[in-house]
Amino acid sequence: MKKTKVYISAALLALGMSACTKLDEKPYSVITADNFYHNREEVLAAVLRPFTHANAWAAPTGQTGYWRLQELSADQLAWPQKGRHGYDGGNWIRLHNHTWIANDDNAWNPWRLMFWGMGFCNNSIADFTKLDFTKIGMTDADKVSIIAETKVLRAWHYLKLMDLYGNIPIVTEVGIPETPPTKPRKEVFAFIEKEIKDNVEQLKPLSADMVGRVTKAGAYAMLVELYLNAKEWSGTERWDDCITYCNKIIAGDGGSLSGSIPALEPDIFRAFANTNATSPEDLFQIAYDFRNGNFRFGWNGDFWHYRQRQVYNVDRDGNNGIVVIPTAYDAFKDNDLRKQNWMLIGPQKKDPALRTSEGDSLVLGTEEYNNKPLVFVKEIRRNSEGETGPGGMTRGEENSGARFAKYLPGKLDDPNYWGNDFVLYRLTEIYYNKAEALMRKAGGVATQEAVDLINTCKKRAFKPADWPKEAYTTSSLTMDELLAERGREFIFEGKRRTDLIRFNKFTTATWWDHQPSADKYKLFPIPFRQMSINPNLVQNDGY
Amino acid sequence: MHKRSTFWARTSIAATVLMLLSLFASSQSRTVTGKVMDGSDQSVIPGVSVQVKNTNTGTVTKADGTFSLQAPENSVLIFSFVGYQPQEVPASKGAPMLIKLTAAVKSLQDIVVVGYGTQKRNEVTTSVATVKPESFNQGGSRSPMDLIQGKVAGLSVTRTQGNNPNSGASIQIRGISSISGNMNPLIVIDGIPGGNLDLLQQDDIASFDVLKDGAAAAIYGTRGNNGVILITTKKGKAGDPQYTYSTYLQREGVAKRPHMLSAAEYVKVAGASNNQGADVDMYDLLLDKNNLSHYHNFAASGGTVNSNYRASLYYSDANGIAIENGRKQYGGRVNINQTGLQGKLTLAMNLATNFNKANLNGGNSGDKAGGNGADFEQAVQRNPTAPIYDANGKFIETNGYNNYNPLARLQQELYDRDQKTYSGDARLTLEPIRDLKLSAFGAILRDEWNDRNYRSKLSRSSIQDYSGGGYAYKGNHTDLSKTFEATADYTKTVNSDHTFNLMGGYSYQYQTLETYDMDNNGFLTDAFQDWNINAGNAINDPKLPRPSQNSFKEDNTLIAFFGRLNYNYKQKYMLQAILRHEGSSRFGANYKWGNFPAVSAGWVISKEAFMQNLTVINNLKLRAGYGITGNQGIPNYKSLITLGTGGAYLQYGKWIQTYGPDKNPNPNLRWEKKKEFNVGLDFSLLQNRLGGAIDVYSRKTVDLLFGYAAALPPNIVDNIFTNVGTISNNGVEVVINAVPIKTRDFVWNSDVTFNSQRNKMVSFSNNIYKATEQYFGDLPSPGNLGPAIRVVEGGPLGTFYGYRYAGLTDDGNWLFYKKDGTKGTPSEVNQDDKVVLGNGIPKYMASWNNTFHYKNFDLSVFFRGKFGFKILNLQDMYFGNKKWSPNNMLSSAIGKNSKINADPQFSDYYLEKGDFVKLDNITLGYNFKLKTKYIRNLRVYASGRNIATFTKYSGLDPELEDTALDSGIDGRGFYPRTRSYTIGLNIGF
Repeated sequence: MKKTKVYISAALLALGMSACTKLDEKPYSVITADNFYHNREEVLAAVLRPFTHANAWAAPTGQTGYWRLQELSADQLAWPQKGRHGYDGGNWIRLHNHTWIANDDNAWNPWRLMFWGMGFCNNSIADFTKLDFTKIGMTDADKVSIIAETKVLRAWHYLKLMDLYGNIPIVTEVGIPETPPTKPRKEVFAFIEKEIKDNVEQLKPLSADMVGRVTKAGAYAMLVELYLNAKEWSGTERWDDCITYCNKIIAGDGGSLSGSIPALEPDIFRAFANTNATSPEDLFQIAYDFRNGNFRFGWNGDFWHYRQRQVYNVDRDGNNGIVVIPTAYDAFKDNDLRKQNWMLIGPQKKDPALRTSEGDSLVLGTEEYNNKPLVFVKEIRRNSEGETGPGGMTRGEENSGARFAKYLPGKLDDPNYWGNDFVLYRLTEIYYNKAEALMRKAGGVATQEAVDLINTCKKRAFKPADWPKEAYTTSSLTMDELLAERGREFIFEGKRRTDLIRFNKFTTATWWDHQPSADKYKLFPIPFRQMSINPNLVQNDGY
Repeated sequence: MHKRSTFWARTSIAATVLMLLSLFASSQSRTVTGKVMDGSDQSVIPGVSVQVKNTNTGTVTKADGTFSLQAPENSVLIFSFVGYQPQEVPASKGAPMLIKLTAAVKSLQDIVVVGYGTQKRNEVTTSVATVKPESFNQGGSRSPMDLIQGKVAGLSVTRTQGNNPNSGASIQIRGISSISGNMNPLIVIDGIPGGNLDLLQQDDIASFDVLKDGAAAAIYGTRGNNGVILITTKKGKAGDPQYTYSTYLQREGVAKRPHMLSAAEYVKVAGASNNQGADVDMYDLLLDKNNLSHYHNFAASGGTVNSNYRASLYYSDANGIAIENGRKQYGGRVNINQTGLQGKLTLAMNLATNFNKANLNGGNSGDKAGGNGADFEQAVQRNPTAPIYDANGKFIETNGYNNYNPLARLQQELYDRDQKTYSGDARLTLEPIRDLKLSAFGAILRDEWNDRNYRSKLSRSSIQDYSGGGYAYKGNHTDLSKTFEATADYTKTVNSDHTFNLMGGYSYQYQTLETYDMDNNGFLTDAFQDWNINAGNAINDPKLPRPSQNSFKEDNTLIAFFGRLNYNYKQKYMLQAILRHEGSSRFGANYKWGNFPAVSAGWVISKEAFMQNLTVINNLKLRAGYGITGNQGIPNYKSLITLGTGGAYLQYGKWIQTYGPDKNPNPNLRWEKKKEFNVGLDFSLLQNRLGGAIDVYSRKTVDLLFGYAAALPPNIVDNIFTNVGTISNNGVEVVINAVPIKTRDFVWNSDVTFNSQRNKMVSFSNNIYKATEQYFGDLPSPGNLGPAIRVVEGGPLGTFYGYRYAGLTDDGNWLFYKKDGTKGTPSEVNQDDKVVLGNGIPKYMASWNNTFHYKNFDLSVFFRGKFGFKILNLQDMYFGNKKWSPNNMLSSAIGKNSKINADPQFSDYYLEKGDFVKLDNITLGYNFKLKTKYIRNLRVYASGRNIATFTKYSGLDPELEDTALDSGIDGRGFYPRTRSYTIGLNIGF
């Protein structure tokens, strides 16, 4: 009897003790990884994660990523100091002057953002490989195409990383190896080429359903970019391969957003408009939709003046950052519609809906031009202090420089308000690339096919009356002219540094406040922070 | 046993006496006589208790100090009297004995709360400081911690926003012990770990006990790293029912105003085009110059031998120096104690509430380095020629970057918090056999608030961001904490010389946090404010900013088993050992549980025979202790592999939320561990006229939690929250209590505290994770000049790191020294040219309190100071520069900084010595001695706080928050620091 009592008490005590020592965390407002991939949408949620992440580094949306390095180190755009604004630790001045160092946010942040996005791909590739798609209502064909899409997306991350840093580690599994070694650029190039080619045929063709995703058309465009720059990146020219994939895209082998084959937009705005999700010109883009997805391509921060919302009647202002370098502005002829429409200059008028009185039509400045009309000027200098001459990176004012207007959001009451997708590859670029490959093959001389390709694109930028004088001929389309025309056509698109390097101008040319730098600046340094924790990384030459 | 009240101590002593009485000892007796005198002035002492040791035989001395009693042969007499040290003397027959009692060092007999129990001061072997009401800072206190600011060596208390009634105190013991974990001490109120300071009113507090070293704090294991502050509330006493009423009135006055340019000076700098014709002192308009705060506390207490109670009610209305900046609160506290079951079962219960309504609209401050947008900052930089209203009575907004009219904002917006805090606890203690106490303790603490925010249709925010449709927000927040603890405590004395106390227990604490909030805009009318949130049209109109709804919940559990052994030999040698075995849900699967041991010892040297002839020394005790504590103060769910949302993306025409891993998982996440060694010396000299303590400590926090740089690739994100680094703090603390003058009518007490502490970031790295430096203190927009503070391996925390000023160019541009010794302008320097510029964490802190009693008057004068640190004067850096135009500037822009003709840059040009001494408190009081049976005591007093500051710092107040990693940066907040004047009354009847 007594023994039984003891047993019962002991059992009760043990029971009580186990409850008293339980330390599980119950997640309420977070989700743990072992509680995911129950259905198709959860799988797609993981597939799509690197795309929304690319917003941070591929597009000019407020962080130092691929886009900023590509444009602010080149000859078209700059973020000058404007009075008390815009010094920002000297980051933009160093980008413009090519004086960045390994311990520089300019070297670190793009690395951080881009490898982070690449890591998302590694993570979902591993998860999907283990996952039985048939158990969650999907098919093995879905599995193949989803893994192929994620692998090509990963290759695109590597393509852009290799462009900036040259020699980088290649990692295809999360956490393995712990300290991956640097691979020479040539090996990285080969890896990217193989990954894309191995998977491209499993991808879906581009269609209205696949907007914003990696499709055959996008993958072909990646290969075009790879082969166009093959000389710089791998040491070997690949002009024929470049032309082959250009032709595939042009022929519609990769599909099209609308219509059976991709087509140039007749209107130079359409490819960037807030309805460009259906543009037959666009091949690969980051999809945005403010109304339906609450996700917008927020370029306003980097480009707009503090009061620029009044110009457009929108809900955002900007930080008055990036402007057009005066010489780049002057590189457009006055009759070039791209100059008139893709850039903002002169007095800024309030949207009529925001005017409170007849006289209230002008947007006012807040700094050097406090309470005075805001008039954007092409110069970057202290005009308010009577400065003359070319100005410079520390000489800006709040109204300095022509402004970005290639993408416009529409007004607040527009049904497609801020629905613009950010275009990563468009058909115009394929035309230009093919033309360039043809010219390079011909020893740097334009062929008629090359001239026709460029003229087809360029024609849209001029009024019919002006066009005959502006059309290229095989003699006027020199390599230098091709580079200049690429600049005009692709300004703001995050491609200029690569182009300048391919034309061997990046470190040798002089522009505005920039003097020739040194060869080593063709690559960015491996970030100091990573060098210090991964002994297997090798610093790029000269840093 | 647990946190024993004075009442408890008394009851147990009474019980012991009763039991002794029941044991009748018989042996041969003889008569012993004698006289008891005061050892210092030889006066006789009547009423001294004389007792034969280990018997119930005893007597008291008569009016002439003599006594006579029957004592057995070879017995020992114990003489004891309040205020004197007890003495044991062998009974001698024949000639009358002459006993000289030494006045007791009062504090030696004090009960010290040490967590799950109490000790007598003279038995304490660790570093524990006690502050009782008689030493509290007088005058109105916004936070209970104000009461002991400067009273405990090594405890730093700063009000980050001066006397803003809605700001808390930032508190820290012995410096920074963590980088990303919690840095605040654990607060334990009447045994509730994690107690809420809002539930305490100054007149309800009986004592603060501060466990400073690891050997003391180890009993609280994983929450002991930053020390523990145990707060005990007042209890009722047996005897006549008593009432006390305390009240005060307080007014704030600005201590130092910023000097802005006058309208005329402004026009000269900013140019006539910025002259808008008026002359307005906006700063002045934001002050509530007629502010008045009042406080009332009414308490009733009483009891019998077996039960007692105390209940108090309070109401206070605190008004800050700023308009729209107040806090009204009321509540109460009830304590009931009862002993029953023949003295074997005791119940102690507390209930406490606080209801407060805070007006958070005014007085917002961007005091931290990155903050801006505060109303006072706007007032300082507002164009002084800009009128407030236009001809139609509409507010005028100045046009400059980030400008707003602060007076308009304050009138057009509303931001209220309605907060309710409750706690209830009960402890049941059973004493089945003598000296064995079994106790169960349960507590519930709930803190909830509802926030309301409304921005009227005409407000700037509404017009700019919400198409003029107003904006309404409501949010609620509920913290709930449930605690259960069980302890057993046994005391045994062997051979009368060896005393053992063994305590063991179990603790379980479960906490949750729940929040919910929503907002809407697009209102047709301001009439509803936030009370009809559905009326906002943003729900239907996609052109308006989207209304939002958010909800959130998290939980965590903390479980511990703990024990403590105390051994004491003849009150001469003491030993204490502690072990806490504790687990927290927050840590990785591989490291849920940790052990936190401590051992400490004390040696009362003055009790040794060889010291007996040194009459100059009354007490001398050496203490030494070593303890390991932990820190679990990190966010929940950090060790789990969680997925984070990444925004919606398009798939086949539909927008779906994306998910991806949001951190690198770490199943090895575990405690930060602090190892601390402390040696202390307590002394009392010259008839106890000079006493004090010296403590020297060395603490090292290892396994420091931090977001360490992770190799990227192969990891997904660039950091991992893991245990790698080591931080060390070494310091000295000195406390001196002196009575320089003591006569019948006049007493002067003088107390000094001093502490010095040095910290070092010993290491950021181990074999896997490496970091070489960390940055803190990002400087605000415009300019975004980067972080001002860098910490490197082997270097101290709080180190300013930036360019070294090398003069100005002829046209007033900055020149900084480059690495190679040459000079460069801001566009010519880079990260490699930055150097160490100074340190923002004070190395020394000191305070000096003097109390004078003359007849019924008392006067206290309290000084406090911090030394050995630099301040980065951001106010001068941004506002003392002509380039700040078209905003208004500080007068230094045309004074000492007039040659600067360049935009703000961070360099040592703006670093200043921060050393200061403050005359922090002067209080004059008068105690009426009334010959009436209705009034027990009556005291009136007048206090002034923050009366004068002696410093070379040119900014407004050199006392900054110094408990954070970005200490030493004087932000751009400009919330006025004030002098407070109080008159108060305490009455007992």
